[in-house]
Amino acid sequence: MQQLTRRSFLKTTATAAAGATILPVLSRDWLAFSAGDATGYFENGFGITDSLCRKVLAGALARGGDFADLYFEHTITNYLMLEDGKVNRAYTNIALGVGIRTVKGDQVGYGYTQELTEQSMLAAAATAATIASSTATTPAGAFIGLKTKNYYPLKTLLSEIPLSSKLPMVQSVNDRCFALSPLVIKVSAGFNDVQKRILIVSSDGTKVEDLLPSNFLFTNVVAEKNGRKERAGWNLGGRKDFSFYTQAITDEVAQTAVERSVILFDAVKPPAGEIPVVLGPGLTGILLHEAIGHGMEADFNRKKISTYATMIGKQVAEPFVTIIDDATLPGLPGSLNVDDEGTPGQKTLLVDKGILTSYLHDKISARHYGVASTGSGRRQSYEHYVQPRMRNTYMLAGPATPDDVIRSVDKGIYVQDVSNGEVKIGEGDFAFYVSQGRMIEKGKLTAPIKDINIMGNGPKMLNNVTMVASDLEMSRGGAGMCGKGGQGVPVGFGQPTILVKSLTVGGTQA
Amino acid sequence: MNKELLDLAQWSMKTAKSAGADECRVSIQSGRSVEVSYRERKPENIKEASTRGLSVEVFANSRYSAQTTSDLRKDSLKPFIENAVASTKLLAEDPFRTLPDVKFYRDRAKVELGVFDAAYESLNPEDRHTTVKAIEEICLARGGSKVISVTAEVADGRSDVVLAASNGLEGQRGFTYYRAGAVMTLQDEGSRRPNGYHFVTTVAKRTLPGAEEIGLEVARRTFDLLGGVKIKTETLPVIIENSNVPRVLNGLIAAMYARSVQQKQSFLADKKGKKIASDRLTLIDDPHVVGGLGSRLFDGEGMATKKRVMIDAGVLNEFYVDWYYGRKLGWEPTTAGMSNLIIPPGKRSVREIMKDLGRGILITGFIGGNSNSTTGDASMGIIGHLFDQGAPVQAVAEMNVAGNHLEFWQKLSEVANDPWPYSSWRTPSLVFTDVVVSGT
Repeated sequence: MQQLTRRSFLKTTATAAAGATILPVLSRDWLAFSAGDATGYFENGFGITDSLCRKVLAGALARGGDFADLYFEHTITNYLMLEDGKVNRAYTNIALGVGIRTVKGDQVGYGYTQELTEQSMLAAAATAATIASSTATTPAGAFIGLKTKNYYPLKTLLSEIPLSSKLPMVQSVNDRCFALSPLVIKVSAGFNDVQKRILIVSSDGTKVEDLLPSNFLFTNVVAEKNGRKERAGWNLGGRKDFSFYTQAITDEVAQTAVERSVILFDAVKPPAGEIPVVLGPGLTGILLHEAIGHGMEADFNRKKISTYATMIGKQVAEPFVTIIDDATLPGLPGSLNVDDEGTPGQKTLLVDKGILTSYLHDKISARHYGVASTGSGRRQSYEHYVQPRMRNTYMLAGPATPDDVIRSVDKGIYVQDVSNGEVKIGEGDFAFYVSQGRMIEKGKLTAPIKDINIMGNGPKMLNNVTMVASDLEMSRGGAGMCGKGGQGVPVGFGQPTILVKSLTVGGTQA
Repeated sequence: MNKELLDLAQWSMKTAKSAGADECRVSIQSGRSVEVSYRERKPENIKEASTRGLSVEVFANSRYSAQTTSDLRKDSLKPFIENAVASTKLLAEDPFRTLPDVKFYRDRAKVELGVFDAAYESLNPEDRHTTVKAIEEICLARGGSKVISVTAEVADGRSDVVLAASNGLEGQRGFTYYRAGAVMTLQDEGSRRPNGYHFVTTVAKRTLPGAEEIGLEVARRTFDLLGGVKIKTETLPVIIENSNVPRVLNGLIAAMYARSVQQKQSFLADKKGKKIASDRLTLIDDPHVVGGLGSRLFDGEGMATKKRVMIDAGVLNEFYVDWYYGRKLGWEPTTAGMSNLIIPPGKRSVREIMKDLGRGILITGFIGGNSNSTTGDASMGIIGHLFDQGAPVQAVAEMNVAGNHLEFWQKLSEVANDPWPYSSWRTPSLVFTDVVVSGT
């Protein structure tokens, strides 16, 4: 019951450091079909007909309100785990339920039930209806099915992949880790897959279904040298088809984790205090997520509690800085065909050539500001409210080369892997935890560093981005989760190599 | 005993055994929760739900799996459990996976834990609105012209849990909770808009502080954030405020689990019986605190709980040893996880301690950071106040503390007299000397 309200954190978990790759070039044809295999799932499997939905929506609007919506969810989560050389445990979770929301202005009534019976749904709708107190409004007479693009096509449903196909993959990670270094003394590995089916029906007539996969292969490696132990992890995944998990991927997960654990024996502690920080490409995009992304979520801004609440249209960074939040990148953890309110997935410019451009909107904030939703309304599950959330957040490539950026620093640090971060929305102060990096001395990468927290302030940091390189990469990890108001949703990150001329590095040397 | 839940648990076990499970353990939860928040003197969110969930752990042919579902219809559960048993048999053999020896189920304490508030069933729904409105009004009045936003919230709930295992375990517990608090945002210099908050949780309505006390504390904490700046890097004594101690203590606890030890991920693996902290640190796990948010007579594996001194005057006494990892390590099990964590309070208040410390920082919040359970290295961002001879000097932000747990806890010099009562972590404020605080 820990309170996280208004403070947000992000974690990729100890097992979830992630790799990075060049942003793929997309074939638009490949995207141009609907998520047809999702259609009719709830009607066929659970008897959720249009007339039943209309009846429940009428219940949710029985005391008035601007609109109401139903969010049906059936999620199957599987988790296979290896320890001590054997895949010796499996976990499965099934979540089934419906969340019913009535919205009046910026007020929300919410009820949910795990029983998809008319009686239970009407009772939850009656709870949601209590937010309003006027005369009943009427839901649309007919629902129009929304056709969406598919940013995560599946050849085979994860639920149809037999356990016998997954077991050798996890076993192979373990065997490969031990083969790679005699220093490896313990390996844990696993495969996590989530198959989430949703149906959203709104009183405005919108009806849309989606099937969201989410999966990753991970390992954690403990190495020992001269009595000292070090640990590192790695994962690869996203909204992937099972065919993604080739032997090459398995080998990459193992090799990266082993390399990253063994190198830590040479790690040194950087000096404490303000120093230049270079962020390498890929996962370090967590910096953007914390330093600006959360502050641009429109609920914080309509309430005027974000440090960015009065900055739209203002120059906040150099002209070579452009930051995007994007649901349309194929197979990434934060990609969405449709958000959790039924708005199609899209791409939103947060900072355009240094100018703060748009907040991330759900339907409530969009109505507040008189703009269209950016498709950023997300929720952890049917048990949760919708909030404006990030999807895949990244900075576009800039004019410098990565070598130029590193060479420009006389004494500083280079950040390679980040495990988690947090921001204080109103102050703009943020932190991220560096699990691995390097010292920079006289323009060259030198000793490894590890386990340091770095602090900064969002608007100040944006102003202090003095170089952006051309090597944009998106994190290829699938385990990145963002927490806000007690809800976790999968997100993605990306960034080219950048220089922030000053951040506060935590250390033990005054 | 909740007969409906218990009957379903027995039916589930029977179904699992019929499908080929050697043993199984079933947990069923049924609950209800309500949340009401107000902003700008009107309801912002109203949420209410009843929930149920079932977890079944299958032990078959020395193999193990665990499954949970919210779909408790028997015609869904039956294939769910049968599939679980069939899938379990595909996994690798693990001879350490068994149900606990029944001797560990016995001798449950004869204590009335006081974790279920009988008044819950007779709550007046309007009371929630009255309380939350009152908290918002206090915050608004106290914040005056500096207020940008106040969101006040109350929540409450009840839950019944049944735990049963095929080797004879049966247990049930019911508990209630009440939460209240608010988040407040004030206008500071420039674009800074500090968000302060204060939330309290109790098991009984009668022990929840009044709206005025909560509202005043929200306002005090938020005003304390105004003017926060980064100061120069310095070695100073620091006081970690009571409610924030768990964020640091958690890094120590993570290394005290048998799994961490067995998986070579514990910097405390070889430290049992050794000094790992200053004499000032005693840490007690007490599952029998009356009204404690972590109180329980049996743990998640059904083992009867006992009060345990985990760290005694700086010496590591015990680990959290569950049945499975205990068998792997060859260690006697203790308990599968934390209940109520207690650091016995000292004699002096934080105010008195500050007067004697000279120049130091009172840490009132953390931001980011992490702790490595394998090495003990930790680093965390801090928020708080610089003080001198007990007098506040400057709010601080954007700063950091770092170190290794094995060194950091040796610097614990005093424990204050203010245990935080609104959590299962009943920690007082703690004083550490010679801590490097990173800033400019």
